Amino acid sequence: MCKYSRRQFMARSAATAGAVALGTNRLFAQSPAVVAGPAEMAIAKWTGVAPADAAAVRKMAAELTRKAIEGMGGLGRFVKRGDVVWVKPNIGWDRTPELAANTNPDVVATLVRMCFDAGAKTVKVGDNSCDLPAPSYNSSGIADAVKPLGAEVLFLDTKRVRETAIKGEMVKTLLMFPEILDCDVLINVPIAKHHGRAGLTLAMKNYMGVMDDRKPFHQAIPECLADLTRFMKPRTALCVLDCVRILNDHGPKGGDPADVLMKNTVAAGLDPVALDAFGAELLGRNPQEIGSIVKGQEAELGTMNYRSLPLREIAVS
Amino acid sequence: MSKRRILSGPWIRRAVQLAFLVAFFALVVLARPRPETDPSPLLKSFFLIDPLIALVTWLAAHALPAAALVSLAVVAITLLLGRVFCGWVCPLGTVHDVAGRFFDGWRRNRKRREHWSRWQLAKYYVLIAFLAMAALGGHWIAIFDPLVLLYRTTTVTLLPAVQWAVEDGSTAVYRADPGVGPVRLTMVTEPVYRFMRDHVFVIPDQAFLGAGLIVAVFALTLLANGYRRRFWCRYLCPLGALLGLFSWRPLLRRKTDQDVCNQCDLCGMACHGAAAVAAGIEWKPAECLGCLNCTDSCHRDALGFRLAMPWRREPTTRRLGLSRRAAIGAAVGGAVGLALMRANPQSRRSTYHPRLIRPPGARPERDFLQRCTACGLCMKICPTGGLQPAVTEAGLEGLWTPRLAPQIGYCDYNCTLCGQVCPTQAIEALTVDAKHEIKIGLACFDKSRCIPYAYARDCIVCEEHCPVPDKAIYVVNVEVVDHDGNRKTIGQPQVDPDRCTGCGICENVCPYKEHPGIRVFSASETRNPDNQPILPESPWDDIY
Repeated sequence: MCKYSRRQFMARSAATAGAVALGTNRLFAQSPAVVAGPAEMAIAKWTGVAPADAAAVRKMAAELTRKAIEGMGGLGRFVKRGDVVWVKPNIGWDRTPELAANTNPDVVATLVRMCFDAGAKTVKVGDNSCDLPAPSYNSSGIADAVKPLGAEVLFLDTKRVRETAIKGEMVKTLLMFPEILDCDVLINVPIAKHHGRAGLTLAMKNYMGVMDDRKPFHQAIPECLADLTRFMKPRTALCVLDCVRILNDHGPKGGDPADVLMKNTVAAGLDPVALDAFGAELLGRNPQEIGSIVKGQEAELGTMNYRSLPLREIAVS
Repeated sequence: MSKRRILSGPWIRRAVQLAFLVAFFALVVLARPRPETDPSPLLKSFFLIDPLIALVTWLAAHALPAAALVSLAVVAITLLLGRVFCGWVCPLGTVHDVAGRFFDGWRRNRKRREHWSRWQLAKYYVLIAFLAMAALGGHWIAIFDPLVLLYRTTTVTLLPAVQWAVEDGSTAVYRADPGVGPVRLTMVTEPVYRFMRDHVFVIPDQAFLGAGLIVAVFALTLLANGYRRRFWCRYLCPLGALLGLFSWRPLLRRKTDQDVCNQCDLCGMACHGAAAVAAGIEWKPAECLGCLNCTDSCHRDALGFRLAMPWRREPTTRRLGLSRRAAIGAAVGGAVGLALMRANPQSRRSTYHPRLIRPPGARPERDFLQRCTACGLCMKICPTGGLQPAVTEAGLEGLWTPRLAPQIGYCDYNCTLCGQVCPTQAIEALTVDAKHEIKIGLACFDKSRCIPYAYARDCIVCEEHCPVPDKAIYVVNVEVVDHDGNRKTIGQPQVDPDRCTGCGICENVCPYKEHPGIRVFSASETRNPDNQPILPESPWDDIY
């Protein structure tokens, strides 16, 4: 998916580094780029009145998702007629949507609907939960949201993992779920959260749900996430970062409504590093501080200077 | 040879037995966690109809769930019809029937002339001993109740054995993928595996500690059928003994036409309970299981069951013949047995087993043991498989009672299933909010193993999984020096004892599999005011 040569990338990185060194931070505060052709990243932000109740939040989440995907040129750009699609949200925890520990169910459901509209034959939804899978699928609201649309809600079977060579710098093989790898199209749908160890959990971190036995990852998260992302990025059609609600503290599991902030934003893109950088800023962190983002850029998996990409910013109200 | 009629008594009985056996196993299998669905009260129905559980729980704990009064119906049926519960309903009796038939077929030329033996009185003395123990507060006999015995054995040993066979068998086939062209063996094995995974198994790789002893007890009682048919039911079963006492003079009596009977003893050879005293007409109603084999086996139709008023004595109906002296001796023995069982430091509360972590809502230990039958229903429905039968942790009195083994499975933060299914309320049914307030133990770091402490590397999987909203595990960033002399900052986890509920998810997810770097012990458990080493920062009346 990487559209840049190494030379271009180095030039852009140098520009970013220079800008940061000058202390201007201007690159991150640019006015919206106007993109003529297909965008590499689209950010849909709610500018209307703040939603008053839960129903309004749900409507808003769906609308933001739709607009972000439209900003990317529509889902037809990624999903072809007859495709089998795996939508991979974060369903890590036995927590309700209001606690922002799992991906927003309306973002997921809207994507599922758009996949079918784009002609997908089958849409499968599932994640390797950290808490008990069945209660997590239920509490997250995702199972209930996507089943009526015709999506298959699947639990991942740790007894049917495939030992896969990913040939990373640190990680050589992983136990991956073949049902995810074997799909025609993979859509990675993380939520932006604080994370006690990784600092933040975003698009790169969300890939940890496609594998089993991930506990040792926590001893070297940036390196392991870079290896995993290097393997998964070419297999991913699109990343959609849910920032409708974000979990600002006590992540990734949360549980306290006081830790949840309404950001009313959905971002979509091809570059998980860029999306992570955007999410980090939204969480009030400098992407340079987040190990996985820095490592991701070093490993040429993307750029943390997301404004250098063909970017569409869409105001939704 | 018996007359092979489909509608004969024994065949109707076998159909009823099969129905109850299937119902019993179905209820075991159906005891699975289902999100957002309360478990059906029917799951514990076999325990609620059991008069032995009701009686000893009432004797030991002076309390009984109202639903257990259903067992009075079984008592009423027994008063009217004798031990038909044993002959027609009891699933363990049915299992022994099948085992007995197997042994009979195996040793075909051996003619069983099994008449009543005085040793069959043993079960009554055992019952008397343990009722005396129960009256003094020892609930131990309940763990040998036949329904409990079968439920526990099925849950702890039989189902996990089936699961191992299905899981590992189908996985081996899946890996090797044998077949011819498009026809693969996995086309059969995978659907079977998926059905079992989704509808029968609770978690992958489920197994229970101490299953060997449980299956050994079960195997021994099965093998005893080779010596005497239904050995367990005739000689040992405490529930059978209790029902035998109630069927001392039932309304339904066996009548033999003495003029027709030629004392061929076919009826005696067919008898399940060894109720006949000798070849011929005398029988003991307390030993009769109502199996109807005798009437069916008689070539001369000399036998039949008729109704008789309870005050009518009949010469052919023999009394049980319990000795008063032996009964008193048994009762004394039961009392002494309890005294001996309590004569250990754990029962005297001078020590606690650190890993005796009881499920949330479990009553204080003594009260808990006076109700818990160790049936295994809580272990069966536990969604993480963490509830395990205690082997030595709870002493002999607490044999096979549930304890949380966090290395195997943790206590899910929002789950209250164990209390909801407990048939004797040894574990109280809690609301989710009430459960969040309960501590079952306290986690502590083993700083000589925990990776950030011992090896100066990042980890914190425990902190990530801690379910308490404001985190009972918090991270302190500490500057350390690594082996190259470089200074680096490492997040070292700490436990806040006020917030920790002892759920054990930290221990469960620790990267160390063999001896986790964080462990949960029973300290600070809410149910025990004597086990509170740490004063809370919040007002003290929280715990006392």
